[in-house]
Formats: sequence, C-alpha cells, structure tokens
Amino acid sequence: MKHSVNRPPTPDGAEDQGNEPTLQEIINIKLIESGEKESLMELLRERLIECGWKDEMKALCRSYVKKKGRNNVTVDDLVHLITPKGRASVPDFVKAELLQRIRSFLMSAAL
Amino acid sequence: MSGPNEDNNTQLSSHIFGDLLDSIIVDVASECHRIAKLGLDRNLEEEEEEMRLSAQARARVADPSNSSETNTKYVVDIFGQTHPSVATEIFECMNCGRSIAAGRFAPHLEKCMGKGRKARLKVTRSSTAAQNRYSRGSPVSTYSPYSNSTSTNRLSNGTPSVAGEEYSNGTYEEPWNKT
Repeated sequence: MKHSVNRPPTPDGAEDQGNEPTLQEIINIKLIESGEKESLMELLRERLIECGWKDEMKALCRSYVKKKGRNNVTVDDLVHLITPKGRASVPDFVKAELLQRIRSFLMSAAL
Repeated sequence: MSGPNEDNNTQLSSHIFGDLLDSIIVDVASECHRIAKLGLDRNLEEEEEEMRLSAQARARVADPSNSSETNTKYVVDIFGQTHPSVATEIFECMNCGRSIAAGRFAPHLEKCMGKGRKARLKVTRSSTAAQNRYSRGSPVSTYSPYSNSTSTNRLSNGTPSVAGEEYSNGTYEEPWNKT
C-alpha cells in the first residue's frame, strides 16, 4: 500500500479553524486592491531619495562591502545592516506626510 | 476626537508605514548588493589598488633589466616552452634542390628565384643559352665543308650575297674560296 493512502485528510480551509482575517489583513488587501499601497510606496521612495536617505543607506552598504570584500556579502547582510539605521533616520516631515496619507485612506475605507 | 479608535488608527498607520519602509529597505539593499557583485560601483580605493597591481605587473614585463637576467635568446611562452630565435627545421628548396633551414628559407628563395640582381642574370643567361642552342642549328649547316667553290656563296636561306662575306645573321665568315 502506498504511504499516500494513509496521509491525514486535507484541511477544509481556514473556516474550520475559526481564523478570520485580522483587521490588518483586511486593510492590507484593501490597500493593495485599490492601488493605494503602490502609490504610497512610490511617494515614500521619492521623498526618501529627495532627502538623501537612500544615499546614506547606499554609503553604508558600500563601506560594508569594502570592509568585507565584494564576494563575501549577501543581501541578508545588507538588509540587517540597514534596517535599524534606516528606520531611525527617516526625516520627521517625510514620516508625517506618509502617516497623514495612510490615515486618510483608512478613514475613507470606512472602517 | 481622540479615543481608542484613533489610537488604533494611529497604530495601524504606523504599522503600515513600517511595512512600506521595510520593503523599500530591502529594495535598496538588493540594489547595493547587485552593484557590489557586478563591480559597477566606482569605488576609487579598490580600483586604485587594482590599477596599482596591474601597473606593477606591466612594469615587470616591460622591464629591460628583467629580461637581461633571463636569457635574451630564449623567451618562455605561456606554456613554458622556449623556441630558438631562428627556426631550425630543414627543408629542400624546390628550385635548386639544396637543403635549407626553415628560418633561412625566405632569403634563400629570394636569391634563388629571382628577386636579386645575380639571380636574374643567372636566369637570363641560362635561358638565352637554351635559345642559342636551338638557333645555332641553322648557322651550323653553313659551316659544312661541302659549300661550292664558285665565287658566289649561297646561304642556307638562299639569299645570294656578294663575295660571300656577309651572312644574313650578321656573323662574318671567311669565304671558302679566295677571289
């Protein structure tokens, strides 16, 4: 007899486990479907380039690469390198603008 | 108005903002990684180092004092073999049949086949010698001892001449009979 015959039955879906999509997930879906997430991303990218944040991050990466050697660097390394510094160094006005946009979206999404 | 809803909203917004920022951070990291791996970054210090090394290598190759240390006759190629400066295989010249070294073949051919003055003379002499051999066939017959004793000497081509002293081919012949 094949092993596959004795495998456990496929679960019917999330409903059986009682897991309803969280508020967060709902909002995320709304954001994506409406295209707002894309717009917000573009806006944030633009602002971060304008204020020099991206250049700072690239400089960090470059010095790290120089220290470690070109061929010893992974994307993961760079992500872990940049994340704390990156989150902390976003200018306040950029953050404020984005938060404003997000909040108005949430309101208009009528939750 | 502030309330739990507002706080919720604010929290949510911050969370969403955090998400966006994380995505952008990953993008930037990925871009930098790509630049680093492809060597697209004009990182001056690294390039200077590489240029310095390549200049060093070039100097070592071009250095005259270096080559005088090694035997100037024998240069080592990339496989580590050495070759004598003049090729030494021996061939037979198809023109004169002599055994010639490959490295001396071209100059030999020049002399042998006709670029030089001496070679050209050699050729013309031998060819005119061949021509004369064939053309002397007719004058030879006038030397025959059977020419008649009359005053008129006939040439082989039949043209009568005065006193037989001159022949049409221009050679002077003493007449067989005296006038």
